[in-house]
Amino acid sequence: MNTAALKELLYKMADDQLILGHRNSEWTGFGPLLEEDIAFSSMAQDKVGQSYALYQLLHALGEQAPDTVAFTRNAPQFHNCQFVELPNEEYDFSLIRHFLFDTAEAVRFDMLTQSRYEPLAQLAKKIRGELRYHTLHANTWIRQLGSATEESISRLQAALDKAFPFALGIFEPSPFEDQLIEEQLFAGEQALRLRWLERVQTILAETSLHLPDVTLTTPEFGGRNGHHTEHLQPLLDEMSAVFRIDPTAEW
Amino acid sequence: MKVVSLDPRVNRLPEISGIDSISRKAPLDQFGTYEVFVQPKEGKPFQHEGIVHAPNLELAFLLAKETLTRRFMCSSIFVTDTRNVFVSPTTENDQNVYDLIPSAGPAQGNARPYEIFHLFKRGKQHVHAGQVAATSPQEAMWIGGQSLRAGKMIYNVWAAPTDTFRFTRDEERDLWLTLPEKKFRDAAAYKAGDKLKTFLEKK
Amino acid sequence: MYGGGTIFENIKGTELENEDPGQLAAFEARIDRGEKIEPRDWMPALYRKQLIRMIEQHAHSEIIGALPEGTWITRAPGFKRKMALMAKVQDEVGHAQLLYSAAETLGKPREQMIDDLINGKSKYSNIFNYPAFTWADSCFISWLVDAGAIVNQLANAKGSYGPYCRALDRICAEESFHLKYGHHCVIYLATGTAIQRAMFQEALDRWWAPMMHFFGPSDNISAHTETLMRWKVKMATNDDMRNQFLDMYVPKIWELGFTIPDPNLRKNETTGRWEYTEPDWDEFKRVINGDGPCNKERLAVRRIAEERGRWVREALQSKQNVYVTPLA
Repeated sequence: MNTAALKELLYKMADDQLILGHRNSEWTGFGPLLEEDIAFSSMAQDKVGQSYALYQLLHALGEQAPDTVAFTRNAPQFHNCQFVELPNEEYDFSLIRHFLFDTAEAVRFDMLTQSRYEPLAQLAKKIRGELRYHTLHANTWIRQLGSATEESISRLQAALDKAFPFALGIFEPSPFEDQLIEEQLFAGEQALRLRWLERVQTILAETSLHLPDVTLTTPEFGGRNGHHTEHLQPLLDEMSAVFRIDPTAEW
Repeated sequence: MKVVSLDPRVNRLPEISGIDSISRKAPLDQFGTYEVFVQPKEGKPFQHEGIVHAPNLELAFLLAKETLTRRFMCSSIFVTDTRNVFVSPTTENDQNVYDLIPSAGPAQGNARPYEIFHLFKRGKQHVHAGQVAATSPQEAMWIGGQSLRAGKMIYNVWAAPTDTFRFTRDEERDLWLTLPEKKFRDAAAYKAGDKLKTFLEKK
Repeated sequence: MYGGGTIFENIKGTELENEDPGQLAAFEARIDRGEKIEPRDWMPALYRKQLIRMIEQHAHSEIIGALPEGTWITRAPGFKRKMALMAKVQDEVGHAQLLYSAAETLGKPREQMIDDLINGKSKYSNIFNYPAFTWADSCFISWLVDAGAIVNQLANAKGSYGPYCRALDRICAEESFHLKYGHHCVIYLATGTAIQRAMFQEALDRWWAPMMHFFGPSDNISAHTETLMRWKVKMATNDDMRNQFLDMYVPKIWELGFTIPDPNLRKNETTGRWEYTEPDWDEFKRVINGDGPCNKERLAVRRIAEERGRWVREALQSKQNVYVTPLA
């Protein structure tokens, strides 16, 4: 088994989930409706929980413990796509990101149920219900707000336009693409992107929203190689503010 | 007004002009409510768990799931608009409410299925009793009194047309799959007795 | 999270003499038998009014209570703490949802209650008008403020109003996680490095006075209070609850080697009651009337949240979706 390729895959997935879970948790207590506040927080918890599970797989492969990996690295050592580190902005952007990212995540884990790396396949099978909820949640809100009022449609459209190049950044090819596919660890970013696009378009077709033209959009790549926006390091500084008071202490 | 806070999240909140002068929320800024019923385990009866505010049935289902079933066990939920639930009077002591429900008289039109819920004790939750076919809510309660009473003391009955519910679909049963593993929401995950003991011994 | 306070004062215009004596007697007999009152039962106007006020304040305390601890939600150290704090702050929002629902069954719509909150017409627990300076402050809240709330909520869960009791049963079950989590955090600080210990001692110094205020001033036992206690709306006096809290938690704080900033705090073994320096009730009144360190911030944050969410709610309003009083 190509461990380097596998680790690269696990790191980018774990970092994505951690950073977006962290971002989404910022909404707790500030949501547009009490019930939605609760639902959005649960999904943020799921994401951080999933990242923890992935860091544990990495730990089993010889990487450092999850807390060390998550709370002591700096931005250039993170492999998340830039999409997840962007600030929350208003609920329109947060919802669109949730829709675009979680659709990709659901497809990715669905593909990973076939992975030859058994622990990852097991994890993917185990969390399918969580992912079902995340996509049901995202699809329902996008369907409804995407065909409601002029304001909600124009807000979501603007968020979609802004988010789309970053969303394409999710699928930045790995240097190990061929090995991952060959060893049947993961069927690859290209295959994932195709399935993602189809699902996203199916939902958007039921709304008044329009997906920007893929062929005319330049994806925001770089995150997978540690190139990040100016937003990631402050996020990490904040996340680890207490932890770094004394990283050897037990909190 | 810009709020300055110890909470970095609050410091990132957008500046909203006129926030100090908001006098009332918009009068229409209010969703209706949906009654939520939860089945804790396969084979157990559904029981009323509470309400959610939502703009429509589908969102009510979605929001009910995390609002009312993010702990313990759950195998399925269903929800209906509060306005669909017909309510009997509430009795007490040895007065069975079914004895107060009059027969509905001759059938009016086609029968449709209703879900029936019973209150066995004041202060407890309504429990799902079963389904009856009837042409009106009152008839549904009357039939419930014949077929679902099962010799029990019942203080209050709810009846709601089955076709007004959003049920959990078969393929959605895995929504609660990892619920038992979310130990971080459980008191049992926070045991520090050993640490405390060592500390006290050293002291 | 909710303590006691001033909630039972100043209710006027709901004189018992105006109630139907037969119905009143049946209502009181039902409570005497230990039965619960359900939403559609006949009830005296005073009972309804007091319950709405109490449950509403409790709900507001939860939604506002999410804010001081929320201060640390993005900075919780390590996965275990991060997941727990996210879930705990979420629970506070959830408790508000449950409590608003219970109050709604009495006829006051949720949006009206939230409206009264953000317009400063309703009160909430005073303690949340204080800032959480460090991680240790959030640990203090999770452990001890929640412990105080549990004392109050366990008492109220034996009250007479069915929907409130049902909400409290759920809430108390969830609070057991909060309490254990909070104690766990504090044990780790207490048994940790010098910096960690000092952090908690400082938090304790800051929060002790608000904690003593938490249960409210000694009750004036008037005929009015006696009626509310007979109707099982008010279940224990503020002093009794404070005493119970001190009894349960002072030994646990001392056990960890911390100093409670009150030289007069001691248990009188003859009376079984705790003695302490009388809390500064002028400060309590000042803060509850709006002049605390964080009152403005707390309300501003709720207002901003309401305002930012408005477009979402407005987009999905429809004529088919009509609010009626929920059932139970």
